[in-house]
Amino acid sequence: MHALPHGRLTWQKRRPPDAVVFTCLAAAALFLALLGFTLILWVREAWPAIRAHGGEMLTSGEWFYRHQHFGALAMIYGSAVVSLLALLLAAPVAFATAIFISEWLPHTLRPWAKAAVEFLAAIPSVIYGLLGIMFLRTWMADWLAPFDPLSGDMLLTAAVLLAVMILPTVTTFAEDSLRAVPAAQRLAARGLALNRTQTIHRIVLPQAWPGMIGAALLGLGRGLGETIAVFLIIGRLDNRLPESLLDPAPLIEPGQTLTSKLGGPETHIAMGDPLHWGAILTLGLILLVLTTLFVSLGNLLLRKNPAHP
Amino acid sequence: MKKALQLLSALTTGSAAAGVLLLAGALAFVLITRGSAAISPAFLTQETREAGASGGILWQIAGTLILVATAALVALPFATALGITRAWLLPPQSRPARVLGFILQLLNAVPSILLGILGLILFTGMLGWGKSWLAGGVLLGIMIVPTAAVMLANRIESLPRGQLDAAAGLGLRRGHIIRSIILPQSAAALLSGMLLGLARAAGETAPILFVAAVFSGATIPTGIHEQPVLALPYHIFVLAQDSFQEASRTNLWGAALVLVTLVSLPALAAIPMRHKLHNAADHA
Repeated sequence: MHALPHGRLTWQKRRPPDAVVFTCLAAAALFLALLGFTLILWVREAWPAIRAHGGEMLTSGEWFYRHQHFGALAMIYGSAVVSLLALLLAAPVAFATAIFISEWLPHTLRPWAKAAVEFLAAIPSVIYGLLGIMFLRTWMADWLAPFDPLSGDMLLTAAVLLAVMILPTVTTFAEDSLRAVPAAQRLAARGLALNRTQTIHRIVLPQAWPGMIGAALLGLGRGLGETIAVFLIIGRLDNRLPESLLDPAPLIEPGQTLTSKLGGPETHIAMGDPLHWGAILTLGLILLVLTTLFVSLGNLLLRKNPAHP
Repeated sequence: MKKALQLLSALTTGSAAAGVLLLAGALAFVLITRGSAAISPAFLTQETREAGASGGILWQIAGTLILVATAALVALPFATALGITRAWLLPPQSRPARVLGFILQLLNAVPSILLGILGLILFTGMLGWGKSWLAGGVLLGIMIVPTAAVMLANRIESLPRGQLDAAAGLGLRRGHIIRSIILPQSAAALLSGMLLGLARAAGETAPILFVAAVFSGATIPTGIHEQPVLALPYHIFVLAQDSFQEASRTNLWGAALVLVTLVSLPALAAIPMRHKLHNAADHA
Protein backbone atom coordinates (compact mmCIF):
# COMPACT_ATOMS: atom_id res chain seq x y z
CA MET A 1 0.00 0.00 0.00
CA HIS A 2 2.86 2.36 0.66
CA ALA A 3 4.76 1.53 -2.51
CA LEU A 4 4.26 5.01 -3.91
CA PRO A 5 4.61 8.32 -2.17
CA HIS A 6 1.25 9.96 -1.80
CA GLY A 7 0.09 11.65 -4.97
CA ARG A 8 3.44 12.20 -6.54
CA LEU A 9 6.44 10.36 -7.84
CA THR A 10 9.88 11.68 -7.14
CA TRP A 11 10.58 12.55 -10.76
CA GLN A 12 7.37 14.54 -10.92
CA LYS A 13 8.85 17.08 -8.56
CA ARG A 14 10.97 18.42 -11.38
CA ARG A 15 8.02 19.42 -13.49
CA PRO A 16 6.40 22.80 -12.89
CA PRO A 17 3.11 22.47 -10.98
CA ASP A 18 0.12 22.23 -13.27
CA ALA A 19 -2.83 24.58 -13.38
CA VAL A 20 -5.29 22.43 -11.40
CA VAL A 21 -2.91 21.84 -8.53
CA PHE A 22 -1.89 25.48 -8.50
CA THR A 23 -5.52 26.67 -8.44
CA CYS A 24 -6.38 24.31 -5.59
CA LEU A 25 -3.43 25.33 -3.46
CA ALA A 26 -3.95 29.00 -4.23
CA ALA A 27 -7.65 28.92 -3.31
CA ALA A 28 -6.95 26.98 -0.10
CA ALA A 29 -4.17 29.39 0.84
CA LEU A 30 -6.35 32.40 0.04
CA PHE A 31 -9.13 31.08 2.27
CA LEU A 32 -6.76 30.47 5.17
CA ALA A 33 -5.10 33.85 4.66
CA LEU A 34 -8.48 35.59 4.76
CA LEU A 35 -9.33 33.73 7.97
CA GLY A 36 -6.06 34.84 9.54
CA PHE A 37 -6.64 38.38 8.31
CA THR A 38 -10.11 38.56 9.89
CA LEU A 39 -8.75 37.21 13.18
CA ILE A 40 -6.05 39.90 13.20
CA LEU A 41 -8.64 42.55 12.35
CA TRP A 42 -10.84 41.30 15.17
CA VAL A 43 -8.08 41.43 17.76
CA ARG A 44 -6.97 44.86 16.54
CA GLU A 45 -10.45 46.31 16.99
CA ALA A 46 -10.84 44.61 20.36
CA TRP A 47 -7.47 45.96 21.51
CA PRO A 48 -8.59 49.36 22.90
CA ALA A 49 -10.88 47.60 25.38
CA ILE A 50 -8.36 44.89 26.26
CA ARG A 51 -5.70 47.52 26.92
CA ALA A 52 -7.99 49.69 29.03
CA HIS A 53 -9.99 47.02 30.86
CA GLY A 54 -8.19 43.73 30.16
CA GLY A 55 -8.21 41.98 33.54
CA GLU A 56 -11.26 43.81 34.81
CA MET A 57 -13.37 42.24 32.05
CA LEU A 58 -12.75 38.78 33.47
CA THR A 59 -13.08 39.67 37.16
CA SER A 60 -15.85 42.25 37.29
CA GLY A 61 -19.53 41.50 36.96
CA GLU A 62 -20.53 45.07 36.28
CA TRP A 63 -21.36 46.00 32.70
CA PHE A 64 -22.58 49.57 32.32
CA TYR A 65 -21.44 50.79 28.94
CA ARG A 66 -22.59 54.36 29.49
CA HIS A 67 -20.19 54.53 32.44
CA GLN A 68 -17.48 52.62 30.61
CA HIS A 69 -17.73 49.62 32.93
CA PHE A 70 -17.13 46.46 30.95
CA GLY A 71 -17.17 43.47 33.29
CA ALA A 72 -18.04 40.22 31.58
CA LEU A 73 -18.20 37.92 34.59
CA ALA A 74 -21.99 37.84 34.85
CA MET A 75 -22.22 36.79 31.20
CA ILE A 76 -19.49 34.19 31.58
CA TYR A 77 -21.37 32.89 34.61
CA GLY A 78 -24.62 32.80 32.61
CA SER A 79 -22.99 30.96 29.70
CA ALA A 80 -21.29 28.46 32.01
CA VAL A 81 -24.39 27.73 34.10
CA VAL A 82 -26.75 27.41 31.16
CA SER A 83 -24.53 25.19 29.02
CA LEU A 84 -23.25 23.00 31.87
CA LEU A 85 -26.78 22.45 33.13
CA ALA A 86 -27.93 21.70 29.59
CA LEU A 87 -25.17 19.13 29.27
CA LEU A 88 -26.05 17.62 32.63
CA LEU A 89 -29.66 17.20 31.47
CA ALA A 90 -28.85 16.03 27.96
CA ALA A 91 -25.86 13.72 28.44
CA PRO A 92 -27.56 10.86 30.35
CA VAL A 93 -30.42 10.71 27.85
CA ALA A 94 -28.04 11.04 24.90
CA PHE A 95 -25.70 8.32 26.19
CA ALA A 96 -28.56 5.92 26.93
CA THR A 97 -30.07 6.57 23.52
CA ALA A 98 -26.72 6.04 21.82
CA ILE A 99 -26.22 2.76 23.68
CA PHE A 100 -29.70 1.60 22.76
CA ILE A 101 -29.34 2.50 19.08
CA SER A 102 -25.87 0.98 18.81
CA GLU A 103 -26.19 -2.11 21.03
CA TRP A 104 -29.83 -3.13 21.38
CA LEU A 105 -31.71 -1.92 18.34
CA PRO A 106 -31.96 -4.43 15.47
CA HIS A 107 -29.83 -3.52 12.46
CA THR A 108 -32.82 -2.78 10.24
CA LEU A 109 -34.36 -0.24 12.61
CA ARG A 110 -31.17 1.73 13.18
CA PRO A 111 -31.51 4.08 10.18
CA TRP A 112 -34.98 5.13 11.39
CA ALA A 113 -33.79 6.00 14.85
CA LYS A 114 -30.87 7.91 13.39
CA ALA A 115 -33.24 9.78 11.07
CA ALA A 116 -35.22 10.98 14.10
CA VAL A 117 -32.01 12.19 15.77
CA GLU A 118 -30.92 13.91 12.58
CA PHE A 119 -34.30 15.61 12.30
CA LEU A 120 -33.80 17.08 15.79
CA ALA A 121 -30.35 18.26 14.73
CA ALA A 122 -31.64 19.83 11.53
CA ILE A 123 -34.28 22.05 13.16
CA PRO A 124 -32.99 25.65 13.07
CA SER A 125 -32.32 27.32 16.39
CA VAL A 126 -34.88 30.05 15.73
CA ILE A 127 -37.54 27.30 15.61
CA TYR A 128 -36.36 25.95 18.97
CA GLY A 129 -36.55 29.52 20.23
CA LEU A 130 -40.10 29.81 18.95
CA LEU A 131 -41.09 26.56 20.67
CA GLY A 132 -39.40 27.86 23.82
CA ILE A 133 -41.40 31.08 23.74
CA MET A 134 -44.71 29.44 22.89
CA PHE A 135 -44.54 26.42 25.20
CA LEU A 136 -41.51 25.88 27.39
CA ARG A 137 -41.56 29.36 28.93
CA THR A 138 -45.13 28.89 30.14
CA TRP A 139 -44.55 25.32 31.31
CA MET A 140 -41.51 26.31 33.32
CA ALA A 141 -43.31 29.26 34.91
CA ASP A 142 -46.21 27.00 35.91
CA TRP A 143 -43.99 24.18 37.10
CA LEU A 144 -41.83 26.47 39.23
CA ALA A 145 -44.74 28.54 40.47
CA PRO A 146 -44.07 27.51 44.13
CA PHE A 147 -40.76 29.37 43.90
CA ASP A 148 -42.48 32.44 42.49
CA PRO A 149 -40.32 33.31 39.47
CA LEU A 150 -40.88 36.70 37.79
CA SER A 151 -41.68 35.04 34.48
CA GLY A 152 -40.77 32.00 32.42
CA ASP A 153 -37.68 33.80 31.10
CA MET A 154 -34.90 32.40 33.26
CA LEU A 155 -31.59 30.59 33.13
CA LEU A 156 -33.27 27.25 33.85
CA THR A 157 -35.63 27.60 30.86
CA ALA A 158 -32.66 28.37 28.62
CA ALA A 159 -30.81 25.35 30.01
CA VAL A 160 -33.73 22.99 29.35
CA LEU A 161 -34.18 24.28 25.80
CA LEU A 162 -30.45 24.07 25.18
CA ALA A 163 -30.46 20.49 26.50
CA VAL A 164 -32.95 19.52 23.79
CA MET A 165 -30.82 21.29 21.19
CA ILE A 166 -27.52 19.58 22.07
CA LEU A 167 -29.19 16.19 22.58
CA PRO A 168 -28.81 15.13 18.92
CA THR A 169 -25.18 16.32 18.78
CA VAL A 170 -24.14 14.31 21.83
CA THR A 171 -26.20 11.28 20.77
CA THR A 172 -24.71 11.18 17.27
CA PHE A 173 -21.09 11.45 18.35
CA ALA A 174 -21.54 9.05 21.27
CA GLU A 175 -23.11 6.55 18.90
CA ASP A 176 -20.20 6.96 16.51
CA SER A 177 -17.71 6.14 19.23
CA LEU A 178 -19.72 3.06 20.30
CA ARG A 179 -19.87 1.90 16.67
CA ALA A 180 -16.10 2.31 16.43
CA VAL A 181 -15.63 -0.66 18.77
CA PRO A 182 -15.09 -3.55 16.33
CA ALA A 183 -18.04 -5.90 15.96
CA ALA A 184 -15.67 -8.86 16.17
CA GLN A 185 -15.01 -8.02 19.84
CA ARG A 186 -18.72 -8.18 20.60
CA LEU A 187 -18.95 -11.55 18.87
CA ALA A 188 -15.93 -12.83 20.79
CA ALA A 189 -17.45 -11.66 24.08
CA ARG A 190 -20.71 -13.42 23.29
CA GLY A 191 -18.68 -16.50 22.40
CA LEU A 192 -17.17 -16.34 25.88
CA ALA A 193 -20.71 -16.56 27.27
CA LEU A 194 -20.98 -12.92 28.30
CA ASN A 195 -24.53 -11.72 27.85
CA ARG A 196 -25.36 -8.50 26.06
CA THR A 197 -25.38 -6.33 29.20
CA GLN A 198 -22.03 -7.71 30.26
CA THR A 199 -20.66 -7.19 26.77
CA ILE A 200 -21.76 -3.55 26.85
CA HIS A 201 -20.35 -2.90 30.31
CA ARG A 202 -17.09 -4.84 30.09
CA ILE A 203 -16.15 -4.70 26.42
CA VAL A 204 -17.84 -1.80 24.65
CA LEU A 205 -18.09 1.01 27.21
CA PRO A 206 -14.51 0.79 28.54
CA GLN A 207 -13.28 1.40 25.00
CA ALA A 208 -15.91 3.89 23.95
CA TRP A 209 -16.02 6.17 26.97
CA PRO A 210 -13.26 8.60 25.92
CA GLY A 211 -15.20 9.15 22.72
CA MET A 212 -18.41 9.63 24.68
CA ILE A 213 -16.77 12.24 26.88
CA GLY A 214 -15.57 13.82 23.64
CA ALA A 215 -19.17 13.83 22.41
CA ALA A 216 -20.24 15.58 25.61
CA LEU A 217 -17.53 18.23 25.17
CA LEU A 218 -18.66 18.86 21.59
CA GLY A 219 -22.17 19.30 22.96
CA LEU A 220 -20.84 21.76 25.51
CA GLY A 221 -19.07 23.72 22.77
CA ARG A 222 -22.25 23.81 20.72
CA GLY A 223 -24.27 24.91 23.74
CA LEU A 224 -21.88 27.73 24.59
CA GLY A 225 -22.14 29.13 21.08
CA GLU A 226 -25.90 28.82 20.69
CA THR A 227 -27.38 32.29 20.35
CA ILE A 228 -30.82 32.75 18.90
CA ALA A 229 -32.83 30.27 20.95
CA VAL A 230 -31.16 31.31 24.21
CA PHE A 231 -31.61 34.98 23.30
CA LEU A 232 -35.37 34.51 23.01
CA ILE A 233 -36.01 32.97 26.41
CA ILE A 234 -33.28 33.96 28.85
CA GLY A 235 -34.68 37.35 29.76
CA ARG A 236 -31.42 39.17 28.87
CA LEU A 237 -30.94 40.93 32.17
CA ASP A 238 -27.43 42.30 32.75
CA ASN A 239 -25.26 42.03 35.84
CA ARG A 240 -26.95 39.14 37.63
CA LEU A 241 -24.02 37.66 39.48
CA PRO A 242 -24.80 35.64 42.62
CA GLU A 243 -22.73 35.93 45.81
CA SER A 244 -21.89 32.25 45.67
CA LEU A 245 -21.39 30.00 42.65
CA LEU A 246 -23.61 27.36 44.20
CA ASP A 247 -26.49 29.71 44.92
CA PRO A 248 -29.48 28.20 43.04
CA ALA A 249 -31.59 31.38 43.14
CA PRO A 250 -30.32 32.83 39.80
CA LEU A 251 -31.55 29.73 38.00
CA ILE A 252 -35.13 30.95 38.21
CA GLU A 253 -34.20 34.53 37.42
CA PRO A 254 -33.55 36.12 34.05
CA GLY A 255 -29.92 36.49 33.07
CA GLN A 256 -27.52 37.04 30.24
CA THR A 257 -25.06 34.83 28.40
CA LEU A 258 -22.11 35.88 26.23
CA THR A 259 -24.12 34.98 23.14
CA SER A 260 -27.38 36.64 24.15
CA LYS A 261 -25.39 39.83 24.79
CA LEU A 262 -23.63 39.61 21.42
CA GLY A 263 -26.90 38.95 19.61
CA GLY A 264 -28.64 41.90 21.21
CA PRO A 265 -29.09 45.50 20.09
CA GLU A 266 -26.04 46.67 22.04
CA THR A 267 -23.75 45.24 19.36
CA HIS A 268 -25.09 47.76 16.86
CA ILE A 269 -24.95 50.63 19.34
CA ALA A 270 -21.35 49.82 20.20
CA MET A 271 -20.00 50.27 16.70
CA GLY A 272 -19.51 54.01 17.02
CA ASP A 273 -17.42 53.92 20.20
CA PRO A 274 -14.02 52.17 19.91
CA LEU A 275 -13.94 51.25 23.60
CA HIS A 276 -17.48 49.85 23.72
CA TRP A 277 -16.99 48.10 20.37
CA GLY A 278 -13.71 46.68 21.60
CA ALA A 279 -15.44 45.35 24.71
CA ILE A 280 -18.12 43.64 22.59
CA LEU A 281 -15.42 42.11 20.38
CA THR A 282 -13.57 40.95 23.50
CA LEU A 283 -16.73 39.12 24.59
CA GLY A 284 -16.58 37.46 21.18
CA LEU A 285 -12.97 36.48 21.75
CA ILE A 286 -13.79 34.99 25.16
CA LEU A 287 -16.56 32.98 23.51
CA LEU A 288 -14.23 31.89 20.70
CA VAL A 289 -11.53 30.75 23.14
CA LEU A 290 -14.03 28.77 25.25
CA THR A 291 -15.69 26.99 22.32
CA THR A 292 -12.33 26.30 20.66
CA LEU A 293 -11.06 24.79 23.90
CA PHE A 294 -13.99 22.41 24.38
CA VAL A 295 -14.33 21.48 20.74
CA SER A 296 -10.65 20.68 20.20
CA LEU A 297 -10.55 18.68 23.43
CA GLY A 298 -13.71 16.86 22.33
CA ASN A 299 -12.30 16.07 18.90
CA LEU A 300 -9.08 14.86 20.46
CA LEU A 301 -11.00 12.38 22.62
CA LEU A 302 -13.24 11.33 19.75
CA ARG A 303 -10.20 10.48 17.66
CA LYS A 304 -9.12 7.98 20.30
CA ASN A 305 -10.81 5.46 18.10
CA PRO A 306 -10.50 1.97 19.64
CA ALA A 307 -10.33 0.51 16.14
CA HIS A 308 -6.98 2.24 15.63
CA PRO A 309 -5.02 1.87 18.86
CA MET B 1 -31.18 -12.35 38.24
CA LYS B 2 -28.99 -11.99 35.18
CA LYS B 3 -32.04 -11.93 32.97
CA ALA B 4 -33.62 -9.25 35.12
CA LEU B 5 -30.50 -7.10 34.87
CA GLN B 6 -30.48 -7.55 31.10
CA LEU B 7 -34.09 -6.48 30.90
CA LEU B 8 -33.48 -3.48 33.14
CA SER B 9 -30.56 -2.32 31.03
CA ALA B 10 -32.49 -2.69 27.80
CA LEU B 11 -35.50 -0.94 29.32
CA THR B 12 -33.63 2.10 30.66
CA THR B 13 -31.69 2.74 27.46
CA GLY B 14 -34.75 1.88 25.41
CA SER B 15 -36.97 4.34 27.23
CA ALA B 16 -34.39 7.11 26.69
CA ALA B 17 -34.37 6.30 22.99
CA ALA B 18 -38.16 6.19 22.94
CA GLY B 19 -38.16 9.60 24.60
CA VAL B 20 -35.93 11.03 21.89
CA LEU B 21 -38.13 9.49 19.21
CA LEU B 22 -41.21 10.90 20.91
CA LEU B 23 -39.61 14.33 21.11
CA ALA B 24 -38.86 14.32 17.37
CA GLY B 25 -42.41 13.16 16.68
CA ALA B 26 -43.93 15.78 18.96
CA LEU B 27 -41.95 18.60 17.36
CA ALA B 28 -42.97 17.47 13.88
CA PHE B 29 -46.59 17.14 15.04
CA VAL B 30 -46.71 20.63 16.58
CA LEU B 31 -45.12 22.25 13.54
CA ILE B 32 -47.42 20.47 11.10
CA THR B 33 -50.68 20.93 13.01
CA ARG B 34 -50.05 24.59 13.85
CA GLY B 35 -48.38 25.51 10.59
CA SER B 36 -50.68 23.84 8.10
CA ALA B 37 -53.54 26.22 8.97
CA ALA B 38 -51.60 29.03 7.31
CA ILE B 39 -50.28 27.15 4.30
CA SER B 40 -52.02 27.95 1.03
CA PRO B 41 -50.86 28.94 -2.45
CA ALA B 42 -51.56 32.55 -1.50
CA PHE B 43 -49.36 32.30 1.61
CA LEU B 44 -46.43 31.26 -0.52
CA THR B 45 -46.97 33.77 -3.33
CA GLN B 46 -48.07 36.97 -1.56
CA GLU B 47 -46.05 39.57 0.25
CA THR B 48 -46.41 40.11 3.99
CA ARG B 49 -49.06 42.59 5.14
CA GLU B 50 -49.97 44.13 8.52
CA ALA B 51 -46.57 43.25 10.02
CA GLY B 52 -47.08 39.55 9.52
CA ALA B 53 -50.73 39.28 10.52
CA SER B 54 -51.92 38.74 6.96
CA GLY B 55 -50.55 38.15 3.50
CA GLY B 56 -47.82 35.64 2.81
CA ILE B 57 -44.08 35.12 2.96
CA LEU B 58 -43.09 35.38 -0.71
CA TRP B 59 -40.13 37.72 -0.25
CA GLN B 60 -38.90 35.93 2.85
CA ILE B 61 -38.67 32.70 0.86
CA ALA B 62 -37.06 34.55 -2.06
CA GLY B 63 -34.57 36.25 0.26
CA THR B 64 -33.58 33.00 1.93
CA LEU B 65 -33.08 31.38 -1.49
CA ILE B 66 -30.94 34.33 -2.62
CA LEU B 67 -28.78 34.05 0.51
CA VAL B 68 -28.40 30.30 0.17
CA ALA B 69 -27.59 30.45 -3.55
CA THR B 70 -24.94 33.10 -2.89
CA ALA B 71 -23.52 30.99 -0.07
CA ALA B 72 -23.30 28.00 -2.41
CA LEU B 73 -21.42 29.99 -5.06
CA VAL B 74 -19.02 31.37 -2.46
CA ALA B 75 -18.42 28.06 -0.71
CA LEU B 76 -18.11 25.61 -3.61
CA PRO B 77 -14.67 26.64 -4.96
CA PHE B 78 -13.11 27.01 -1.51
CA ALA B 79 -14.60 23.77 -0.18
CA THR B 80 -13.36 21.88 -3.24
CA ALA B 81 -9.88 23.36 -3.00
CA LEU B 82 -9.57 22.80 0.74
CA GLY B 83 -10.90 19.23 0.55
CA ILE B 84 -8.49 18.27 -2.24
CA THR B 85 -5.59 20.04 -0.57
CA ARG B 86 -6.24 18.37 2.74
CA ALA B 87 -6.69 14.81 1.44
CA TRP B 88 -4.61 14.64 -1.74
CA LEU B 89 -2.13 17.44 -2.22
CA LEU B 90 -0.73 17.37 1.31
CA PRO B 91 0.86 14.04 2.27
CA PRO B 92 -1.53 12.10 4.52
CA GLN B 93 -0.84 12.16 8.28
CA SER B 94 1.75 14.87 7.66
CA ARG B 95 1.75 17.83 9.98
CA PRO B 96 0.32 20.30 7.41
CA ALA B 97 -2.55 17.91 6.57
CA ARG B 98 -3.36 17.41 10.24
CA VAL B 99 -3.21 21.14 10.96
CA LEU B 100 -5.52 21.88 8.05
CA GLY B 101 -7.95 19.20 9.25
CA PHE B 102 -7.84 20.72 12.73
CA ILE B 103 -8.51 24.24 11.41
CA LEU B 104 -11.50 22.98 9.43
CA GLN B 105 -12.90 21.25 12.53
CA LEU B 106 -12.53 24.41 14.59
CA LEU B 107 -14.08 26.54 11.88
CA ASN B 108 -17.03 24.17 11.87
CA ALA B 109 -17.52 24.88 15.57
CA VAL B 110 -17.27 28.67 15.49
CA PRO B 111 -20.49 30.05 17.00
CA SER B 112 -22.55 31.57 14.22
CA ILE B 113 -23.10 34.83 16.10
CA LEU B 114 -19.38 35.50 15.70
CA LEU B 115 -19.84 35.32 11.94
CA GLY B 116 -22.55 37.93 12.25
CA ILE B 117 -20.19 40.23 14.14
CA LEU B 118 -17.43 39.48 11.64
CA GLY B 119 -19.87 40.78 9.03
CA LEU B 120 -20.13 44.05 10.95
CA ILE B 121 -16.33 44.39 10.99
CA LEU B 122 -15.82 43.50 7.33
CA PHE B 123 -18.86 44.62 5.39
CA THR B 124 -20.33 47.40 7.49
CA GLY B 125 -17.12 48.76 9.01
CA MET B 126 -14.47 48.26 6.34
CA LEU B 127 -16.48 48.24 3.12
CA GLY B 128 -19.38 50.43 4.22
CA TRP B 129 -22.01 48.25 2.58
CA GLY B 130 -24.71 48.74 5.18
CA LYS B 131 -27.12 45.80 5.14
CA SER B 132 -26.55 43.74 2.04
CA TRP B 133 -27.63 40.34 0.71
CA LEU B 134 -24.06 39.78 -0.48
CA ALA B 135 -22.64 40.16 3.03
CA GLY B 136 -25.12 37.58 4.33
CA GLY B 137 -24.39 35.20 1.47
CA VAL B 138 -20.63 35.41 1.99
CA LEU B 139 -20.95 34.80 5.75
CA LEU B 140 -23.23 31.80 5.24
CA GLY B 141 -20.78 30.58 2.59
CA ILE B 142 -17.89 30.73 5.05
CA MET B 143 -20.05 28.74 7.45
CA ILE B 144 -20.58 25.81 5.09
CA VAL B 145 -17.03 25.58 3.69
CA PRO B 146 -15.73 23.28 6.47
CA THR B 147 -18.76 20.92 6.31
CA ALA B 148 -18.38 20.36 2.57
CA ALA B 149 -14.56 20.30 2.63
CA VAL B 150 -14.42 17.67 5.38
CA MET B 151 -16.95 15.41 3.62
CA LEU B 152 -14.99 15.72 0.38
CA ALA B 153 -11.67 15.02 2.09
CA ASN B 154 -13.07 11.93 3.86
CA ARG B 155 -14.37 10.61 0.58
CA ILE B 156 -11.05 11.17 -1.20
CA GLU B 157 -9.25 9.33 1.59
CA SER B 158 -11.56 6.33 1.16
CA LEU B 159 -11.03 6.09 -2.62
CA PRO B 160 -9.43 2.78 -3.67
CA ARG B 161 -5.68 3.32 -3.42
CA GLY B 162 -5.03 1.00 -6.32
CA GLN B 163 -6.60 3.35 -8.83
CA LEU B 164 -4.66 6.33 -7.59
CA ASP B 165 -1.41 4.41 -7.52
CA ALA B 166 -2.09 3.04 -11.00
CA ALA B 167 -2.79 6.55 -12.29
CA ALA B 168 0.43 7.83 -10.76
CA GLY B 169 2.26 4.81 -12.18
CA LEU B 170 1.00 5.67 -15.65
CA GLY B 171 2.70 9.00 -15.28
CA LEU B 172 -0.47 11.08 -14.90
CA ARG B 173 0.23 14.42 -13.34
CA ARG B 174 -1.43 15.31 -10.06
CA GLY B 175 -3.77 17.82 -11.68
CA HIS B 176 -4.80 15.22 -14.21
CA ILE B 177 -5.51 12.68 -11.47
CA ILE B 178 -7.65 15.26 -9.68
CA ARG B 179 -9.69 15.96 -12.80
CA SER B 180 -10.12 12.45 -14.16
CA ILE B 181 -10.18 10.24 -11.06
CA ILE B 182 -10.69 12.13 -7.82
CA LEU B 183 -13.36 14.66 -8.75
CA PRO B 184 -15.64 12.29 -10.73
CA GLN B 185 -15.58 9.76 -7.91
CA SER B 186 -16.01 12.17 -5.04
CA ALA B 187 -18.41 14.69 -6.59
CA ALA B 188 -21.36 13.02 -4.84
CA ALA B 189 -19.72 13.48 -1.45
CA LEU B 190 -18.94 17.11 -2.21
CA LEU B 191 -22.50 17.69 -3.33
CA SER B 192 -24.05 16.05 -0.27
CA GLY B 193 -21.70 18.01 1.99
CA MET B 194 -22.76 21.20 0.25
CA LEU B 195 -26.44 20.28 0.59
CA LEU B 196 -26.13 19.56 4.30
CA GLY B 197 -24.25 22.81 4.82
CA LEU B 198 -26.77 24.78 2.81
CA ALA B 199 -29.64 23.30 4.78
CA ARG B 200 -28.01 24.47 7.97
CA ALA B 201 -27.26 27.88 6.45
CA ALA B 202 -30.87 28.37 5.31
CA GLY B 203 -32.07 28.16 8.91
CA GLU B 204 -29.40 30.39 10.45
CA THR B 205 -30.43 33.69 11.95
CA ALA B 206 -27.32 34.90 13.75
CA PRO B 207 -25.01 35.46 10.73
CA ILE B 208 -27.61 37.55 8.88
CA LEU B 209 -28.93 39.36 11.95
CA PHE B 210 -26.75 42.47 11.67
CA VAL B 211 -25.63 42.68 8.06
CA ALA B 212 -28.17 41.19 5.68
CA ALA B 213 -31.74 40.81 6.88
CA VAL B 214 -34.55 43.28 7.52
CA PHE B 215 -38.12 42.63 8.60
CA SER B 216 -39.91 44.52 5.84
CA GLY B 217 -39.43 46.75 2.86
CA ALA B 218 -37.12 44.68 0.70
CA THR B 219 -37.75 42.54 -2.37
CA ILE B 220 -35.18 41.52 -4.98
CA PRO B 221 -31.87 43.35 -4.45
CA THR B 222 -30.63 45.42 -7.37
CA GLY B 223 -27.14 46.22 -6.16
CA ILE B 224 -24.80 45.71 -3.23
CA HIS B 225 -24.85 48.85 -1.07
CA GLU B 226 -27.81 49.05 1.31
CA GLN B 227 -29.58 46.17 -0.41
CA PRO B 228 -30.91 43.94 2.35
CA VAL B 229 -33.26 41.00 1.89
CA LEU B 230 -36.10 39.56 3.91
CA ALA B 231 -35.36 36.08 5.22
CA LEU B 232 -37.48 33.35 6.76
CA PRO B 233 -35.43 32.78 9.95
CA TYR B 234 -35.18 36.49 10.64
CA HIS B 235 -38.92 36.90 10.01
CA ILE B 236 -39.67 34.19 12.58
CA PHE B 237 -37.10 35.66 14.98
CA VAL B 238 -38.79 39.08 14.93
CA LEU B 239 -42.36 37.77 15.10
CA ALA B 240 -41.47 35.37 17.93
CA GLN B 241 -40.48 38.35 20.05
CA ASP B 242 -43.95 39.85 19.51
CA SER B 243 -45.60 36.54 20.16
CA PHE B 244 -48.25 38.09 22.38
CA GLN B 245 -49.79 39.39 19.15
CA GLU B 246 -52.44 36.77 18.49
CA ALA B 247 -53.07 38.09 14.97
CA SER B 248 -49.75 37.00 13.52
CA ARG B 249 -49.59 33.60 15.26
CA THR B 250 -51.08 31.49 12.51
CA ASN B 251 -48.78 32.96 9.90
CA LEU B 252 -45.83 32.68 12.28
CA TRP B 253 -46.37 28.93 12.59
CA GLY B 254 -46.88 28.76 8.85
CA ALA B 255 -43.52 30.41 8.28
CA ALA B 256 -41.94 28.02 10.79
CA LEU B 257 -43.35 25.00 8.94
CA VAL B 258 -42.09 26.35 5.60
CA LEU B 259 -38.62 26.94 7.05
CA VAL B 260 -38.36 23.47 8.60
CA THR B 261 -39.54 21.92 5.33
CA LEU B 262 -37.01 23.98 3.37
CA VAL B 263 -34.25 22.93 5.73
CA SER B 264 -35.22 19.23 5.66
CA LEU B 265 -35.42 19.00 1.86
CA PRO B 266 -31.67 19.15 1.11
CA ALA B 267 -31.01 16.71 3.96
CA LEU B 268 -33.53 14.32 2.40
CA ALA B 269 -31.94 14.79 -1.02
CA ALA B 270 -28.56 13.97 0.50
CA ILE B 271 -29.76 10.66 1.99
CA PRO B 272 -29.61 8.54 -1.21
CA MET B 273 -26.17 9.99 -1.93
CA ARG B 274 -24.91 9.22 1.54
CA HIS B 275 -26.40 5.75 1.30
CA LYS B 276 -24.46 5.20 -1.93
CA LEU B 277 -21.27 6.50 -0.32
CA HIS B 278 -21.79 4.20 2.64
CA ASN B 279 -22.20 1.17 0.39
CA ALA B 280 -19.20 2.21 -1.67
CA ALA B 281 -17.15 2.52 1.50
CA ASP B 282 -18.28 -0.93 2.65
CA HIS B 283 -17.27 -2.55 -0.59
CA ALA B 284 -13.99 -0.70 -0.99
